[in-house]
Amino acid sequence: MIQVRQLTKTYQVRERHGLFATSKRAVHALNGIDLDIERGALFGLLGPNGAGKTTLIKCLTTLLLPTSGTATIAGHDVVQAPAQVRNAIGCMLMGERGLYWKLTGRENLAYFAALYFVPRHERNQRIARLIDRLRMQDFIDRPVESYSSGQKMKLAFAKALVHDAPILVLDEPTNTLDVPSARELRAIVAELHAEGRTIVYTTHVMTEAEQLCQRLAIVDRGTVIAQGTPDELRRQVVATEVIQVRGQIPPRATLSVQSLPSVREVAIATLDDGHELLVRTSEPRQVLPKLIETLYAYGASIEDVVPSRTTLEDVFMALTGRTLAEDTRTR
Amino acid sequence: MVVEERIARKPRRSLAWLQSIGIMLKVAETQLRLISRYPGSLAIDVIMPIVTTAIPILLGRSLTGSFDAQAFAANTGTTDYVPYMLIGSSMLTVVTTALWNVGFWVRREQQTGTLEAIYLAPASRFWVLAGVALYGMVRSLVSLLLSFILGCLIFGINPLQGHIGLAFSFLLLGLVPVYGLSLIYGAVVLRLKEAGALIQIAQWLTSLLMGIYFPITVFPPLLRWIALVFPPTWMNNGIRAALLGVGWFFDSWYADLGVLAVFAVIMPVLGYNLFAVVERKMQRNEGVGTF
Ligand SMILES: Nc1ncnc2c1ncn2[C@@H]1O[C@H](COP(=O)(O)OP(=O)(O)OP(=O)(O)O)[C@@H](O)[C@H]1O
Ligand SMILES: [Mg+2]
Repeated sequence: MIQVRQLTKTYQVRERHGLFATSKRAVHALNGIDLDIERGALFGLLGPNGAGKTTLIKCLTTLLLPTSGTATIAGHDVVQAPAQVRNAIGCMLMGERGLYWKLTGRENLAYFAALYFVPRHERNQRIARLIDRLRMQDFIDRPVESYSSGQKMKLAFAKALVHDAPILVLDEPTNTLDVPSARELRAIVAELHAEGRTIVYTTHVMTEAEQLCQRLAIVDRGTVIAQGTPDELRRQVVATEVIQVRGQIPPRATLSVQSLPSVREVAIATLDDGHELLVRTSEPRQVLPKLIETLYAYGASIEDVVPSRTTLEDVFMALTGRTLAEDTRTR
Repeated sequence: MVVEERIARKPRRSLAWLQSIGIMLKVAETQLRLISRYPGSLAIDVIMPIVTTAIPILLGRSLTGSFDAQAFAANTGTTDYVPYMLIGSSMLTVVTTALWNVGFWVRREQQTGTLEAIYLAPASRFWVLAGVALYGMVRSLVSLLLSFILGCLIFGINPLQGHIGLAFSFLLLGLVPVYGLSLIYGAVVLRLKEAGALIQIAQWLTSLLMGIYFPITVFPPLLRWIALVFPPTWMNNGIRAALLGVGWFFDSWYADLGVLAVFAVIMPVLGYNLFAVVERKMQRNEGVGTF
């Protein structure tokens, strides 16, 4: 559905030194991006501030011309056939900017529906359905300037859906939302995905990416440094994980645990009030149910299981030696 | 598959035309809606030409003794300097609002981020800009009519003199090249992200070249030539000639109208292409979204 080959984008910026002195400098925002996003995927783009996520999205949505490389969306080249590409994409790019604040939400939607060739006779119906789905009845006929920040985001989201495009591109859609609103929005994104849309979801919040996306690419300094399912990404950097079990565990159970497939090492420690079993494995998800089964078979009573979790934050750190929160824009 | 179908929903060729017109109308309608949320802007549109007319007229009346009607008639072809002035300043308002129309639109949409939103949509830029121009025309024609009628009442002029139909032809045809110039100004604003600069000078220059307060017959030759390649000059003179009989530049109304028709083809093509070039240049670098 989306193919990106060796895409680069360089901005020419004028730097100011004092009142009059300026100099030109090239900012290499994208340095050879390769991506393949399949039809129907919910694909995450994860990266710290300044990684180039927005730049990539602007190239994919034809707002920017790439400096070199190619990108095709639904079979259309972004440079050769921009109108077809735009037609295929619903995009939420700049949050609450990009709306007419003096108009009502409904007027905004009608306007953009027209710009996306939604036939006149379908417009009102389509908009009414969106209002229902996103629960915007209470404020949709008020001027946008009277909206809360979350309501504006919702309207921007509705705007991206107004022409019912097969591809949705969302650039940090939950950025200014509070926790419940963000959850609501993610739920709707998941629904839209279930209906068959291809979704590109940008975020710098790794839990969000982990929770929502089936596949993701980690972008850093204009390149894709890793790509895959969240599990694959984790495995890529951490070959084994350690599961920690606490409770009353008969020491002879360890031998059987040791013989479970993909278990590498087993250690047991005696604590004041019981035991702590540590199991090192390369497939924690497969091992966990068997581990618990085995322990019960030996009459163990389990109080607590702590599966060690490698987060995407760990993955990013392992790959770059930096944290996601670090800002790379100044470099 | 459903998804395939959705992508395929590109307008059929026969429908594409209608849809493009639909986009133009929707853009114009939305701009009118937006301006209607600022009540008072229409009042200003209507009153400005009357105020700008009042100054030379009152000046003329206070100097009645020394006002040389014969010299005025020799230069302009009419002794009716009051309607001459009223037409002139009405035209000046129409022309200058049209000139800034695209530029101000670009600037406003840049600041609200809606320009980028428009560039995300498949609607062709041409029809969006046509919608903006249409909005500008509707707005300035309405305020022109109101202010002209009001001005006629205030200054005691018969608004039904001369060839009104011909005057309208000059007005409508004359506005087309002005929107071409407006696109050029819009391209400049798109690039510089600044709409206010040079407007004062341009406003004054426009009034001079169009021959609002002085007929261009009193200009030195070089300045007269410059005035003659400025399309609104022909429109202004055409309307005055049709209504007041001040005389054509080319001795006949159709020759003058023909010149305007040539401008009406050249200027929009020039303007639109310049706009497209600047737009392309912006997309090659930082895009149209920065403000
Ligand atoms: N218009 C511009 N002109 C010059 N440089 C730019 C421009 N826009 C972005 N950049 C630079 O390009 C790089 C990538 O920026 P981009 O906005 O794509 O990052 P991002 O991943 O979206 O970050 P964030 O998470 O903060 O939104 C940054 O170094 C940024 O400073
Ligand atoms: Mg961004």
